[in-house]
Amino acid sequence: MSASKSRWADEDPETEAIIAARKREKEEKKRAKAEKQRQLEASKAQTDGDGNDQSRNGDSGPPMKRRRLSNDADTNDAEVPENAEKKKQTTLLRFPVREWGTCRHVDNFERLNHIEEGSYGWVSRAKDINTGEVVALKKLKIENSPDGFPVTGLREIQTLLEARHANVVYLREVVMGNKMDDVYLVMDFLEHDLKALLDEMREPFLPSEIKTVLLQVVGGLEFLHAQWIMHRDLKTSNLLMNNRGEIKIADFGMARYYGDPPPKLTQLVVTLWYRAPELLLGAEKYGPEIDMWSIGCIFGELLTKEPLLQGKNEVDQVSKIFDLTGPPNSQIWPGFRSLPNAKSLRLPSNSSASSSSDPPLLPRSRFPYLTNAGLGLISELLALNPASRPTARQCLAHPYFREDPRPKPKEIFPTFPSKAGMEKRRRHHTPEAPKHGQEAPELDFAGVFGGAPGGDTGEVGAGFSLRLG
Amino acid sequence: MTATGLKQLSNALATPDQLSNSSSSIDGVPSDLETSIRVAGAQLTQTAGVLLGLSQDIIGQAIVIFTRFWLGADGEAYESTRPRYDVSAAALYMTAKLSFQPTSPRSVLNVYTLLCSSDTSPLWFVNPKGAPAEAPAMESYLLTEGEYQSARLTLLRIESVILRILSFDTHVALPHTIALTYLQTLGATRPAVARRVVEHLNAALLSPQLLYVTHQPNALAVAAIYLAAREDGIKLVDGNWWEVFDVDREELGFLVVGMRSLEGFMRREMEQWKNKTIPLLVDDVDSEIERRRMMVEGE
Repeated sequence: MSASKSRWADEDPETEAIIAARKREKEEKKRAKAEKQRQLEASKAQTDGDGNDQSRNGDSGPPMKRRRLSNDADTNDAEVPENAEKKKQTTLLRFPVREWGTCRHVDNFERLNHIEEGSYGWVSRAKDINTGEVVALKKLKIENSPDGFPVTGLREIQTLLEARHANVVYLREVVMGNKMDDVYLVMDFLEHDLKALLDEMREPFLPSEIKTVLLQVVGGLEFLHAQWIMHRDLKTSNLLMNNRGEIKIADFGMARYYGDPPPKLTQLVVTLWYRAPELLLGAEKYGPEIDMWSIGCIFGELLTKEPLLQGKNEVDQVSKIFDLTGPPNSQIWPGFRSLPNAKSLRLPSNSSASSSSDPPLLPRSRFPYLTNAGLGLISELLALNPASRPTARQCLAHPYFREDPRPKPKEIFPTFPSKAGMEKRRRHHTPEAPKHGQEAPELDFAGVFGGAPGGDTGEVGAGFSLRLG
Repeated sequence: MTATGLKQLSNALATPDQLSNSSSSIDGVPSDLETSIRVAGAQLTQTAGVLLGLSQDIIGQAIVIFTRFWLGADGEAYESTRPRYDVSAAALYMTAKLSFQPTSPRSVLNVYTLLCSSDTSPLWFVNPKGAPAEAPAMESYLLTEGEYQSARLTLLRIESVILRILSFDTHVALPHTIALTYLQTLGATRPAVARRVVEHLNAALLSPQLLYVTHQPNALAVAAIYLAAREDGIKLVDGNWWEVFDVDREELGFLVVGMRSLEGFMRREMEQWKNKTIPLLVDDVDSEIERRRMMVEGE
């Protein structure tokens, strides 16, 4: 580097022209040299036999390690010697080596059996022909969308590639078929999903097992939120488990990056039974708290083996939620009144009866075998006010996980016969996540507490304990 | 911090193989012509992004995707002498789709029609006459319904090709925000310096040395800061401060030279292509190669 001239603007045009000419010459030479080198390398590669062709086809497995570029070395020849000494003293952080290359073909995998069909694609068990490894192969659904490759699929891949964590399903690569819209995600295969497992089990998980499961899910979620990724479709059927007691979060079809302040996003996310009240009330801005609500629902489901809040539709879901938590008031949830769908909400007049704790505890009768700490945690997770819910990190630090019985070590977790391994996985009865691009419906919640438009049979003024159907 | 946590701040880089065997070189496009076309394509992307009202981080990511595509494309997947402008359009469209500011195929295609027309374009390498004095009439760049439908299909098809070539890895980390953090760490908070840093980083997107696909964002940030501080005559802290940001002297030196050479490079480009258009269409590329061959034979 020439240090004498600090600005590039005020140079004599003549000298500049000379410098430029020299530079051109130099570059010409350099280019010739590089060309020579390339030819040399090419011929060498040919004599080596295997050649570049293979690596460019992408068939040879993982790409080569990155080498030092010869060009770099050329330009900096002069500086190397004086630098050598210093280099020894400092250790610089090196970034993980990553490259890009063309997709492999799906023919590299042999399909074994079908696992399930979700809202975002078909999943089957498959074997990597080259390595023999068993993987899960998920075909992305690409309807002929007017906007090209579906943004949900792009986000799913983008977030999965980013979310490398022990408790997030590992996306190995993306492969394609013959047509441009044949796109498959190749992921690690796990034997179970929690939903199928809960359906099969005769007894619910033990408290120590619930803690192990929950800690892993929330651990994975903490990582996602730290990467500014919201999952937006957490539910038991999206939590996979292997026979070593490891849980991994899967199905990132709804996942996306968020920001601070939160951007305007669609409220049509998260499967109804796991959907947070602010989404149901039409909040246009929301954050990772919606995932924490889903965690609360999952916690409840692990305790009882049954989905906690099984609403038939949005209105019924809200009604079921308030049934459990009690109705909102401006004390426990300031500002909920201004949410779009809250306008039609007619709350019972006695709802201001304030509770001693914030957020209020859920009724003990719903979770009879849960310790006080456990009840405290689930009440916080299912707080109507998103701001009252703990973050994933706070959740991990909750006393519930430190009291007896302690979380059961993963290694001694019971194993279960796999549904996915051999036969078609049972079609779940969980409703599906909303489809991308749907319009958010205008909801009329006037009937939630037994008002007229709902047309239900409830008694007027019976308050929130009313059940609709 | 673990290596996984760093992913968001780092990029996939080109392999030596990709750098020395770019797809165009296989197809017989001379490397200086390829460089000219690629830099023109990057400028086209930048201008289109500005006209579409996209923020610079989206535009920057699109240019990096565009660059990766040309290095990664194999002959089988995509003839490398294809039009460059539609790869630029698809890269920009796709990047915007993933961002907080998605844009419609129609807007993208209208903007590219305007920019690629030798009558209405303000770009010197498309319209050597220079930007038209008055704003061009709407009709000159609005596509008819038929034109739009076929252009849209091309746009979406090329989007798929880009995704295939990149194995669907659309992650691009840009150095701009990293640089601002570094500036604060160094206590160099003068807005003029920060502006100059951002200017260097944006200019480097056009670099013929492909700095964004050969170096990590932290190194680009450090080099831009070094250069800007020097131009402004600001004294930064004593010692090898760049090592704090995990950049060694050798890499810093290379990047500073690369960034400084950009102005001269662009001058030469404008001189070389004076009164001519840089071929962004496949036919143009072929005829430019033919013209050069004739010139050589004529000598």
